[in-house]
Amino acid sequence: MRSKECVAMILAGGQGSRLGILTQNVAKPAVPFGGKYRIIDFPLSNCAHSGIDTVGVLTQYQPLELNTYIANGQPWDLDRTNGGVFVLPPYTSAEKGEWYKGTANAIYQNIGFMEQFNPKYVVILSGDHIYKMDYNKMLTAHKKANADATIAVIEVPWDEAPRFGIMNTDENMQIVEFEEKPENPKSNLASMGVYCFSWDVLKKYLMADEADPESENDFGKNIIPAMLGDGLKLMAHRFDGYWKDVGTIQSLWEANMELLDDKPGCDLDDDTWKIFSRNPIKPPQYVGATGSLKNSYTTEGCEIYGKVEHSILFEGVTICEGATVKDSIVLPGAVVNSGASVNKAIIGSDAIIGDGAEIGSTADDANSDYNNTKICSADITLIGPGIKIGNEKKVAVLSMVTDDIC
Amino acid sequence: MKNDMLGVIFSENPEASMGELTSLRSLAAVPLGGRYRIIDFMLSNMVNSGILKVGITTPVNYQSLTDHLGTGKDWDMDRKDDGLYILPPKDTGESDVEAIGGIERLTGISSFLNKSQQEYVLVTDCNTICNIDFDKVLESHLENEADFTLVCTPVKDLSSKDVRKHILLNVDDDNNVTDMHIYPGRQVTDLSYMHMFITRRETLMELVEYASTHGKHQISKDILLPAVTNDQVKVCAYNFTGYRKKIDSIQSFYKANIDMLNKEVRDELFGLSVDKPIFTKIKDSVPTKYAKTAEVENAFIADGCKIEGTVKNSILFRGVHVGKGATVENCILMQDSEVMENCLVENVVFDKGVILRSGKKLVGQDTYPMVIGKEIVV
Repeated sequence: MRSKECVAMILAGGQGSRLGILTQNVAKPAVPFGGKYRIIDFPLSNCAHSGIDTVGVLTQYQPLELNTYIANGQPWDLDRTNGGVFVLPPYTSAEKGEWYKGTANAIYQNIGFMEQFNPKYVVILSGDHIYKMDYNKMLTAHKKANADATIAVIEVPWDEAPRFGIMNTDENMQIVEFEEKPENPKSNLASMGVYCFSWDVLKKYLMADEADPESENDFGKNIIPAMLGDGLKLMAHRFDGYWKDVGTIQSLWEANMELLDDKPGCDLDDDTWKIFSRNPIKPPQYVGATGSLKNSYTTEGCEIYGKVEHSILFEGVTICEGATVKDSIVLPGAVVNSGASVNKAIIGSDAIIGDGAEIGSTADDANSDYNNTKICSADITLIGPGIKIGNEKKVAVLSMVTDDIC
Repeated sequence: MKNDMLGVIFSENPEASMGELTSLRSLAAVPLGGRYRIIDFMLSNMVNSGILKVGITTPVNYQSLTDHLGTGKDWDMDRKDDGLYILPPKDTGESDVEAIGGIERLTGISSFLNKSQQEYVLVTDCNTICNIDFDKVLESHLENEADFTLVCTPVKDLSSKDVRKHILLNVDDDNNVTDMHIYPGRQVTDLSYMHMFITRRETLMELVEYASTHGKHQISKDILLPAVTNDQVKVCAYNFTGYRKKIDSIQSFYKANIDMLNKEVRDELFGLSVDKPIFTKIKDSVPTKYAKTAEVENAFIADGCKIEGTVKNSILFRGVHVGKGATVENCILMQDSEVMENCLVENVVFDKGVILRSGKKLVGQDTYPMVIGKEIVV
């Protein structure tokens, strides 16, 4: 194996339970986003553009779809002879077998993988954020500062700071303190879950962390505090682009809708930083004589005969004549039949909405059996993948529909 | 499953006259249907039929074709064994492409034919678009124990002008081709040869060798016709009845594009229900953005477009921008072309990267669309 200066590891094992039915059978990084992408396309494309060609993807929860999607890494130019993308599930060994117990343990269990490339630096990424970032800039800063670890940070509004891991820094951006979800934050620089470590340092701390039975084996809770405690040089690397955690139905919906803004925060139409994805093999979209699209984002294989406003349609979606879709996200292959109306909803892949059905209804007689305000908020209605909604059925706003309604 | 057949596609056709569209590129590389090039249809048909080795002859202007095909990975043809072969011409000193017939092209690739292991070979032109299963053609070829199988399609009511572009076949009840009329003056039969045939690879090599050493040029006239008229050689027909369109002129190019606005044509041509999709080069374009001011009716639109104006009865390729207040009707706008604010365009074909400045008006004839050449700024 040839040496690599830098290897990236993407933590993609999380369930993303707050996305409800959308992550019942798929890991969160495989959730569709923005018309033709999946969340993991963002870190993978960032790696490709940053010149990192050796990437480990750590999977655990429902990995089938994610594995199939990543496959040989060809869409991200990661089908390399030297390096490339590697899906790394938990495994058993002669002594024991165990799941990934935490983020640090997941990396610990793959020390052998990384050692093959004899890296100087390791970049640790999470597979559940939407952002375009040049990791190479961060690595350059890391080297220049002669740091042991560099953590990407982003300024968040002060009132939201208590929801994040906050980095308190000195005037040189060296981290002096790390506070996880502080009640009274001293800074509004939030950790993005993007770390760059000098490998020899990280390896030492991973081993020590593993030996500590009290540890939760987590980067934020254990590794970073331990390094700070030992007086290591940890630098904050300021990122001032768009960065969004899409961990909830509401944030997922918002992040999608922000693409429709006149000046979107995350401009996908950027030839210098294309987000690569596994493209469907489908013909262009067709808009029929009765179809209309306003302020919307659509992609290949769609057939549109109805009215679509302020919405995002994924590949192969059919909107029949007389149907209206507003403020919604329609995932791949879903069908909205004649006369149906879909209002502020996320329609799962291959779901079928019957003739004249109403999704996100505020009518008194609407079906509210699936009301779920734990998952759904901001009047968003969620229809699960492959769910069939019968003709003329009304599904109440804030529902998460997990069974067919006939 | 893979079969024991080699594919050969001619990227040029001397009989096609595409004007401006082929001044900078080969016929096979002419953009079509929003995100495709002409070659994608024949090449995808071969891939979907289990053909693992395809050679494409490229006499002239093949840069855009090689850019498009690359290593063949978008067709899953980047293989260790077999795969895609782009076959540039041998330098014969002949500069006049028109004078070079199919026999010379096959002679030029004799080492490719010779080195291939496949028992059978399928030879086709590039410029007919259809969704055809060549595995079935091979099956019929084997069943008939034929020496040649010619793919043909029913035609009716050809005008006296059109009929001269056809090769018409007489076929008996047992599928045997009994006679062949090359570019006749009137419609003598209702079966037209589609310029696709199967034979044994070694048979083809022998016949090409014989023909080229006897001053022959044309595959149809000098190889197929003698085979048809020779009682010792069994030539069969395979009747293809699906949608097909031969692209050999600006009008037929325009019609083939406009045909895709028809749902039945789309469903069949793009093979979605039968899992025989048409592959093309992946560009990773963003989804198409329709602005609040967009008015779109009966249009076939690829990814990466930005539509702020009105689009009707048109085909838009990847990355086209239609500005506010602009109207585009009955048009084919190729990749990255731009119609700025308040323009009016009707019956026009824009080649790649054409820019129409604000407020301009361009109207072509509905019988003969106007073609604006690559990267022209109007």
